[in-house]
This record gives sequence, structure tokens and C-alpha cells, in this order.
Amino acid sequence: MAETVEYNGVSFEVDEDGFMLDFNQFAPEWIEIVKKEEGISELTDEHTMVIDVLQDYYKKNGIAPMVRVLSKLTGFKLKHIYELFPSGPGKGACKMAGLPKPTGCV
Amino acid sequence: MAQGTLCNRQPINTEETLQALLADTQGKIYYKEMQELDVDTTALGLLIEKTCKSRIRTWLSICAKCGLCADSCFFYLANNHDPEQVPAHKIQSTLGELVRRKGNVDNAFMIRAMDIAWGKCTCCNRCSIYCPMGIGMGVMFSYLRGLCFSQGFVPWEMKIGSGMHRIYRAQMDITSEDWVDTCEWMVEENEEEYPQLEIPMDKENSDIIYTVNAREPKHYPEDIGDAAILFHIAGENWTVPSKGWEETSLAMFAGDWEGATMQVKEVYGAIDRLKPKRMVVTECGHAYRATVIEGPYWAGLESGKTPVETLHYVEWVLEALKTGKLKIDPAKKIKEPVTYQDSCNYIRNGGLSTVGREIMSFIAEDFREMKPCKEHNFCCGGGGGLNGIGRYRQQRNVGMKIKRDQILETGAKLVITPCHNCWDAIRDIEEVYKLGIRWSFLKPLLLSMVIVPAHLKPTEE
Repeated sequence: MAETVEYNGVSFEVDEDGFMLDFNQFAPEWIEIVKKEEGISELTDEHTMVIDVLQDYYKKNGIAPMVRVLSKLTGFKLKHIYELFPSGPGKGACKMAGLPKPTGCV
Repeated sequence: MAQGTLCNRQPINTEETLQALLADTQGKIYYKEMQELDVDTTALGLLIEKTCKSRIRTWLSICAKCGLCADSCFFYLANNHDPEQVPAHKIQSTLGELVRRKGNVDNAFMIRAMDIAWGKCTCCNRCSIYCPMGIGMGVMFSYLRGLCFSQGFVPWEMKIGSGMHRIYRAQMDITSEDWVDTCEWMVEENEEEYPQLEIPMDKENSDIIYTVNAREPKHYPEDIGDAAILFHIAGENWTVPSKGWEETSLAMFAGDWEGATMQVKEVYGAIDRLKPKRMVVTECGHAYRATVIEGPYWAGLESGKTPVETLHYVEWVLEALKTGKLKIDPAKKIKEPVTYQDSCNYIRNGGLSTVGREIMSFIAEDFREMKPCKEHNFCCGGGGGLNGIGRYRQQRNVGMKIKRDQILETGAKLVITPCHNCWDAIRDIEEVYKLGIRWSFLKPLLLSMVIVPAHLKPTEE
């Protein structure tokens, strides 16, 4: 079921929806892959802050946070999170942070 | 009897087991263990004897194998008329055999039954309306899912979903505190534009109790904000419950009958506690089916109805448009060609087919029907939980070709999808097939064209 994608010689195993399979494989090259897919031209410090918060939460809890938590920890309004990640916090942001695809109706 | 540590017959009832399952990304170990999972044929036989009543036994025996159901199935059409995809074959070779053999089947049989019950059927029930015998295929596939679940043969994501309901009374890990916090946040985020906006929590005797899909607080909180603004503009006396706010039921999709019952009782408990006049369900199809159509039976309500009258969100929208509670600015109606995705769960299986058309007459200048439509419309391609199951992603993408072609034929680039599941499927059709289409719930569209009464606007300094 798993496929592999590659950037600059670094390869990543992904699931059927293009989410990274093993969070521990995360590397900066992964961001380049998702950036293109998500239509994000320039990665800013704010993108990085969202990614860091998602990763920290996932390491502690084994699941993605709800958006309210993301907003509290970054200080970003919901509208701004969508400006940063147009496909949404549950999809684009989680994908870029290397989290597995959230389960359930997403 | 061999059972795995992750894949077994026990439902998920603790956070620890849920965490262990979540950590098994993509269900790699889970599905490996499933290959070794023994079938408890005695228990399965007893369950069939106890729960397979005359209606299903009659349907199984009167099926004439005429094949008239074949062309009604989008999977059959999308897979070049593969005989394996004929609905009668799919149900007879799984549930039919299970009943005939009184549960005396093996591991390979159950894995195949699972792969058919979740990977080759979305319980859209379209085949039932073309069956000359009136056989309720969706009901039978749902029942088959229940038998599979009882033996632990259930897709990984569905097992997680049903476990979430058992632990959180929501399909995602959202507690009552999380929910209340998110509602307060949505007020904060919108109060500059709508100064008196509120999301009344646990208000007794309101006209409307509003209930949602857990993905809204988890991933898409704007949906809650949009609903609040529209109720506010319409001047509704409404509330949300702090407990019993989640309408959906992945437990239903998983075939976890006990979990589905727990979930729906939580919602009815909120109604009993807060005594609203009516309930409104968010723009979700399966939430409506679980709580309004199936729920009363799970909860043992003799009336077969929800404790108070329940409206799907589209019904509330139409009522608000007709009564003038929501007024549309004619200049802001949708000008471009637009089409409408009929959700199987409340159109074909809930009788609300005309409501969407009437709404379109208020908000769209160039509304284009898909062909076929209303009760005859095809499933979005991802219903019944299929969208959320990685194991069947390729099959789903093939099945979605039927919906893709229906949309393309309308010439519309905007698809209105008042159902979370359909919304996801149309999004994924775009992701897979790159048609250049957009998709939307009703709420953001209504907000872009509704006339906001002067007294609700911010005062200029």
C-alpha cells in the first residue's frame, strides 16, 4: 500500500493520500514536497511555527490537535491559519508537519 | 482462539487501546494480525440466530438474482460491468452465505466479507430502489458490517472511529471542555463583525438545539462560527448542548451497534435535559441517518422518532428563506453555473429531495441538475465511511469516476455539498482527477449573500 516519494535524494514512504507514513522520517526535504502540492510559494516563520506546534503536540499525544489548540499555541486567528495553509489545518498543515492522516471523517 | 493485540474481537473501550491502535500507522500490524484472526463460529452462529430476523431472511431468500440491481450500482458501472460488483452477488456471497452456513466460516471468508462490506458498497441504497422485490440492500450491508465487527474483521480506521465514540462520545478526541472552548473561540473570532454574536450553551427551553459533526471542532471550526452567525442573523432562539453535541456515528459505519446506541443516547439525553422545541442537524448526511432515521430504534424509542422534531440543516435553511428570517441580496446570488450533490442519507433515504431545489431557487441564477438526481442520484463515491479507509483508496477513486462524469456533464464549476462526506468526496475528486471545480457547504455561500439587518452590524465609531 505504501508508496515512496523523493526530493533531493531523500525519500519518504507515504500513504494512499500522500501523508508521511513514519513521523520519525521527517526531514526538511519533506516540506519541499508538500509545499509544492499545497501551492505554498514561500515558507515563512509562521509556517514553521505551525509545523513545530503540530509536531510537539503529536510527539506528546500521538494525534493531531484540534484547531483551537493550534490557535492558542501559535496565537494565530483561524483565518490566518487558512491563509498559511489553504487546504486547512487538518489536511495541509498536518501533512506538511509529517503527521499521519487524521482518522475519521476529514 | 488466536486474537491479535490490536486486531481482535474486543471493541475499543480504553484510551490505552485507542492510543495503541492510532500508533499503528495505516494499520500495518493490525491487518497483519487480521490474517491470523480466528473466527469464533459458535458466537457468530448465535449472533446470527439472535439478530437475523425474518425481514433479512426473507430478502435473502426472495432475491431472484435477476441482475436488475447491477446497473444501479456505481461500483459496477465504474468497473466495466464486473460481475463481482453486482449488488445481489455481493450480498448473497457474503451475508447470504453467513446465514446459510450459520456462521460456520473461516478467516479468509471474513476478510473477503469485510473487503466487500466496506470496500465495494457505501450503503447508498441506490440498488434497493431498482430492485423489483424491494430488497433493502443498504440495511443488509449494514447488518453484514455488524457481523464482521463482532468478530474483529473491520477496517482499521473504522475500529478507531467506533472506539472514539465509546471513549469520547464523538468520532474524534473532542471532550466536552474542548467543544465548549471552541464555541467560545468562534464567538471571539467573529464578534468584531457581529458584536452581539453568541453561541448559547445549555440554554433550556430554546426553539432549536443545534448539533454538529466532531470534525467541526477538531478540524473545521469555521463551520460552527458560520452556523452561529446565520442563526444570529435569523434571530433564532437556539442553543448547543455541552454534552450530546455530536450527531455523527462512525460506530454506525463500523457496524458497532453498541457504540452507535451509546452515541445516539448521548444526543437524546441532551434533548431530555434541555427541552428544546426542535433539533437541527448540521450539513451532514450520515449524522442525520444515525440520529434521526436509525437512532430512535437503537435507543428503543417506540415512536421510531427522535424525542423532538428534527430538521436537517437544509430544512432549516429553506424555512428561514421562506419565512424571511434570512433574506438574500438578489445582486449577490450565485451567477455562475452551479450544481447540487444529493446526499444519499437524507435524500434517497430521508425523503428530502425537493428541499435543495427550493433553496437553489433563492440563491442561484443558473442551477443545473446532475443526471440522474434526487432519489436517483449516485453516491458521491466516498459514503458509508469509505472516504476514511486507506485500504480501499484505489477502489474508491475508480468508483468516483461516475460522480466525476456527472459533474462534468452539468458544465458547472461549483458543486454545493450539504454533507460532510460528499464535501470530502468532491474535494478528493478534484484532487485525483483535476477537473478545476470548487465545492462548498451552504453556510459560507449563504453568508456571502445574506442581508445583515442594520441593528446586528457593528456601530461605526
